[in-house]
Parts: sequence; C-alpha cells; structure tokens
Amino acid sequence: MANESKSVTKKKWTSQEKNECIWGWAFILPTMIGLIILNIWPIFDTIIQSFFKTGDFGKGNIFIGLQNYKTILGDPEIWQALLNTFKYAIVEVPFSIAIALVLAVLLNRKMVGRAAYRTIFFLPMVAAPAAIAMVWRWLYNSEFGLLNHILGTKTNWISNPSIAVFAVAIIGIWSIVGYNMVLFLAGLQDIPRDYYEASSIDGANGINQFFNITIPLLSPTIFFVAITRVIGGLQVFDLIFMVMDKNNPALYKTQSLVYLFYQESFVNNNKGMGSAIVVFLLIIIMIITVLQMQMQKHVYYN
Amino acid sequence: MKKKILSVILAGAMAMSLAACGGGNSGGDSAGGNGGGASSGGDKGGTLAVAIWDNGQKAGLDQIIADFTAETGVKAEIQVITWDQYWTLLEAGASGGDMPDVFWMHSNEAQKYMENDILMDLTDRIAASEKLEMDKFPEDIKNMYSWDGKTYAVPKDVDTIALFYNKTMFDEAGISYPDESWTWDDFYDAAVKLTKDDGSQFGTAMNPSNEQDGWMNIIYSMGGRVLSEDKKSSGFDDPNTIKAMEYVQKLIDNAMPPATTMAETGTDVLLGSGKIAMLSQGSWMVPQFKEHEYIAENCDVAVLPKDPETGRRVSLYNGLGWAVSAKTANPDAAWQLVEWFGTKDMQLKQAQLGVTMAAYDGVSDDWKNNTDKFNLQPYLDMREDTVFRPSTRATLTWWNPMCEILKEAWNGNKPMADCCAEVAAEMNEAIANE
Repeated sequence: MANESKSVTKKKWTSQEKNECIWGWAFILPTMIGLIILNIWPIFDTIIQSFFKTGDFGKGNIFIGLQNYKTILGDPEIWQALLNTFKYAIVEVPFSIAIALVLAVLLNRKMVGRAAYRTIFFLPMVAAPAAIAMVWRWLYNSEFGLLNHILGTKTNWISNPSIAVFAVAIIGIWSIVGYNMVLFLAGLQDIPRDYYEASSIDGANGINQFFNITIPLLSPTIFFVAITRVIGGLQVFDLIFMVMDKNNPALYKTQSLVYLFYQESFVNNNKGMGSAIVVFLLIIIMIITVLQMQMQKHVYYN
Repeated sequence: MKKKILSVILAGAMAMSLAACGGGNSGGDSAGGNGGGASSGGDKGGTLAVAIWDNGQKAGLDQIIADFTAETGVKAEIQVITWDQYWTLLEAGASGGDMPDVFWMHSNEAQKYMENDILMDLTDRIAASEKLEMDKFPEDIKNMYSWDGKTYAVPKDVDTIALFYNKTMFDEAGISYPDESWTWDDFYDAAVKLTKDDGSQFGTAMNPSNEQDGWMNIIYSMGGRVLSEDKKSSGFDDPNTIKAMEYVQKLIDNAMPPATTMAETGTDVLLGSGKIAMLSQGSWMVPQFKEHEYIAENCDVAVLPKDPETGRRVSLYNGLGWAVSAKTANPDAAWQLVEWFGTKDMQLKQAQLGVTMAAYDGVSDDWKNNTDKFNLQPYLDMREDTVFRPSTRATLTWWNPMCEILKEAWNGNKPMADCCAEVAAEMNEAIANE
C-alpha cells in the first residue's frame, strides 16, 4: 500500500484510488484512535513527566530538567534492577521458546488426545497472572511448600537472593510456554508436508528433519516470538509483585525495573522519577529490539 | 477440522494476549479499573459507593449500612480493595478519575489528601449535626483528620496491640501464661524456652513491616521514640530506641524463625500453623483469628509486657476516619452515611458486631463480647497507655526505606545499631524533603 501510493502521488488520483484511500483510512481509524489515546499519547506524556518533580495528584509539577535521570543513573538500585531484569529475561526467553518449540512439533503429529494436550499446555495462559503467582508462591514456600516437601529439601526458593530471580523466571516460563506453542503450531502449518516426505525417502530421521527443515522454515515465527518475548520479559512485573513480599530479603536482587517504577510512581508517589525509570527501560528495549532486527536480516531463512 | 481447531486456539490466544497486556500494564491500571467499578454506582440518586480495604469488616459494616438504608432510603454498597491497590485507586481517582463517594482515610496518607482538597470539608456539617458528638472521639484521631482548622473525616475506630499466645505450647513447655506482671525480659526468656532446636517451633515472630503491631511498641515502652516530639526528625538515634531495637535483635537471633521464613510466610500464618508460640498483633486481626480453627482452639490473648525501668506498657494506636470525596455527585447522602457511622448507636453496633473497637468513648467495652473464643479484655486494657502511630506529612517516604534498611539487620547482614543510625539519617532526609 505504501509503495503503491508513493508511485501514484505524482499523477492525478482516479476516483477509485481516492475511494480506496478514504476507506483504507476509515478502516484503520478505530485502531489508530485507540493507539493514539491509549499508547502514543501516554508515551509522550510520560517522557515529558520524567523531566518534572511531580506534586501530589498531578498538581504543582516543577521542571527540573535531567535531575531525575541523574538520580536514577547514580542509584545502584537501578543498575541492580536492570541486572535482575536481564537475568529474568535471559532465563525466561530461551527456555520458553525451546520448550514451546519441542512441544509444538510433538503436538503437530497425529496422535490420540492431541487436542487435550494442546489445551492443557495452553491452560496457564488462561489463568489470571495474579492467581498463578499466588499458587506458585505457596508451592515455593520454604516451610510449607509442596516443592520442598516432594524434594525433601529446605531450599529458600524465593527468599535466597541468588536463586529467587530464577525461581520467578520458572513461573514465567511455565505460564508463557502454551502461548508460544500455539504460535509455533500456526507456523508449522505453513511448512509443506512434501519436504518431510522427500527427506525421509532420502533417509533423514526425525531429528535431522527437525534441525534441517522445521527450524529453518519456522525461523520467521521464531524471530517474531523471540522479539515479543524479550520485550515481554524485560517488562516483567506482576509475578515479582505477587511472589515477593516487601520483607523478602531477596527482593533487592529480584526486583525488576518495572517493579521499581511501580514503587516510585504508586507507593512513593514520585511520578517524575517513575517516568524516568520507564523511559530508561524503553530506551534499553529499543536498543535490544533494533539489534534483534539486525540479526534477523542475517539469519532469516527466506 | 484441523484448521478449525487451530483457528479457535489462535483466536483464544489473541484474546488472552490482549488480556495479558491489560493485566501486565502494572497494578496502576488494574486498580484504575477497580476505581471505575467502585464509583460507577455514585451517580445521582443511585447507590453510594463505599470503599474499604479490610475484608474482615465488610459483613459487619454491611449490617450498619442496611440500617442506614432502612432509615433513609439511600442505598450504599461496599467494595473491598486490598490495601496496596486501595491507595493506587484513590490516588488515580484524585488525579482526575472517578472516586468512591465514601471511603476510609489512614494516618499514612491523610495529610496529603486534606491539603489538596480531595476530601470534602465536613466542618460546617459537623457543627450543624444533631447526631454527632465529636467531643466523644479521641483528640489524636480528630487532629489527624483536621488541617488548617477544617475537619475532613469522622473518626471510625481505634485499635490497640496485645499479645496472642498459644496455650497448648505453653502447657507443653510448662510455662505459665503471659500476664500483666510480665516484663520484656520475661517475654524474652519464655520465647527462648518455647523455641525448639529442631526448628519446628519458635517463640515469636516479627517482620520489619510489623511496626505498629510489633517492634514500635517495644521502642515506646522502653522510653524510645520513632519520631521527635515536633515530628521534624527521626527518633532512631535515641539511645532508648537503639536499646529496644537491640532487644528485638536478640529475639530475632534466638527466638524467631529465620527472617526468610517470616518474610515468605507472614507472621499470622505462622501463628495459625502452630509454628510460633506468641505474636503481638493488632485488634484488627481479631475478626480473622476468631474464624481460624487452629487459633480459636489453641490461642488466647494477654496484655503486652511492660518495661521494668520505665514501668510503661505501651500500645501504639491508630484510628481510621470516614471521609467523603470532594467530587461526589451526592454530597448530602454521602455526608448522611458518614454521620450515621459516627453516631453513638452505630459506633456501639460496630463494637458489638466485632467489626472493630469504636472510636466513640466508652462503647468499646461491648466489643470484647463479640466472641467467646478469646478473652479480649487485654486489648481494652492496653488503652491505658497509648501512643498515636507515628506519622508525618508523607509517612511512606521514610516508612519504606526504614523497612528496607531494617531488613538488613533482620537478615544478619548488618548490626542493628548501624541500621538504626542509617534509618535515622534516611528519615531525617526524607522528612526534610517533605
């Protein structure tokens, strides 16, 4: 559409082209309005707010330039939170993709109870994140938790600073695997069966086929999932908020940037500082996404 | 067929991802959603929206509201929103969204709300009221909800702190139950004796965030303080405060579960699961504890220990207030409801139903009869020497760092005395910035 209109701007539009143009805009208008009001406007609002020392209830804001940014960049808590966020994403994203990929391939075959399995793996996605977090919080409980009971250990899964963030990441993997799996299943439908048949005549086994046919041909979907999951992983908040108590000694080594944003904005009521933290996160996510896009150009199988 | 199933799953996935985005967009948004729900009934002639944060009080307050509806014909509906989300919701409502018509105010936040005209000025209405007797309410609570000569809330309740103890564990250890002769040293000795080496049972438990119901009582009874008299500086550099906190440190080291366990599980759950023998806890927990099978069966209540040197047995106390939104569409009905909550009869009813002790002077004696599971007299006795819960204009700006720093002492990473010095410095800075 964009290319088309570029080539026709020079000559006069026919009435049909005009008509199409108007209707095109009319069809995307509802989405555009939603995006502008709910997403784009707040983004700019947040960026502007990050330069202010905000007063109570949004009144009496004072412009302070880059002071909020200076404060957060000089605060070790922010850098620790960034590290925590990365730790979380580095565990959650690859594992949730790898497990989902294997599940998708397995559940793409003809087998008894396939629909039931698909539903079971997708179920965590249907449950409310807060409910999931509450259940896992009790599973992990060092005193009464099912996990320690079964393993016969006394591990402080969510209060030992060196493992808590990974324990939370496991919840993240568990809850997102089904969603990734569905996306992969959709991608798998686009791979022609002929390739598999031809390769099996040539003597390829399932594992050969997986690495040489499935993965290359699924790479567009894998990239899509990877990019969206990295963004999602870096924005982790609800799991940490629900699982980690204020008194938890591992909180400092587990809290994510969005968690700190919540603390600053809604608990300490320092909206300006909170805004600066999310702008900081936005920049980091943008850099990583650009890098991923670059990488995609080199590896993308087309 | 295959396509069909897949498309259904995909459609479901998309719907879910949308929902996930909505939910993941931080608690602010979801609480905002609640706000819409809470105030949707606030239209003229409709139902008054009432917001509270304690689910344990809903049943009793519903009855009081039912009486109100029978008397005036005005309907009101309570919505319970958890403590954390409550303030996010109220803040969002005050910044331009919808607010509930009638809601609770707390000493942590009241000042900010009064200064910014978020609450309806009730001064004239109180003066004109024939039903309210404001002189029957405690001065501290009235002051808390007044600013610049105007009153913004009607006192709702008072709370005190007392000691829950597990009779079964005391019997088993052959220790006599806590009584008014106990000093903090007796408490410590008993707590250590009740702690078993195998980690199956501990004397007591307390988190850094259990301030009002826990360690702050010890500070004040040992002659220390959390805030200076003029509320302009921290009391954490007071030698008596440090002495009290080091006493707490001894308890943490020798008579409490590991800090990790307390943080993960919560002290009320530890009491309810038979892990700890004693727990100092606020009167607001009684509705919950009396419904708890194990606690009702095994536990009873005693007064907090006293300090032998000062002779003081201090309970912190706090009181909520009923406030009205300045933006309510229904100011007269909302005021009527708040006035109703503050009348002697309804304060008495609140106490009798066991919702909480009432703010109104002299009617709380009936509160102790709301259950036969525990002897609640100690909570009433604790009113003899009370200190109003320390608060400043923006309490949370020093409250959160305070808990954060004390966590280090709880976990044994730093000596308590160092933490106290750090808390004092942080508090002074935060208060200066208010």
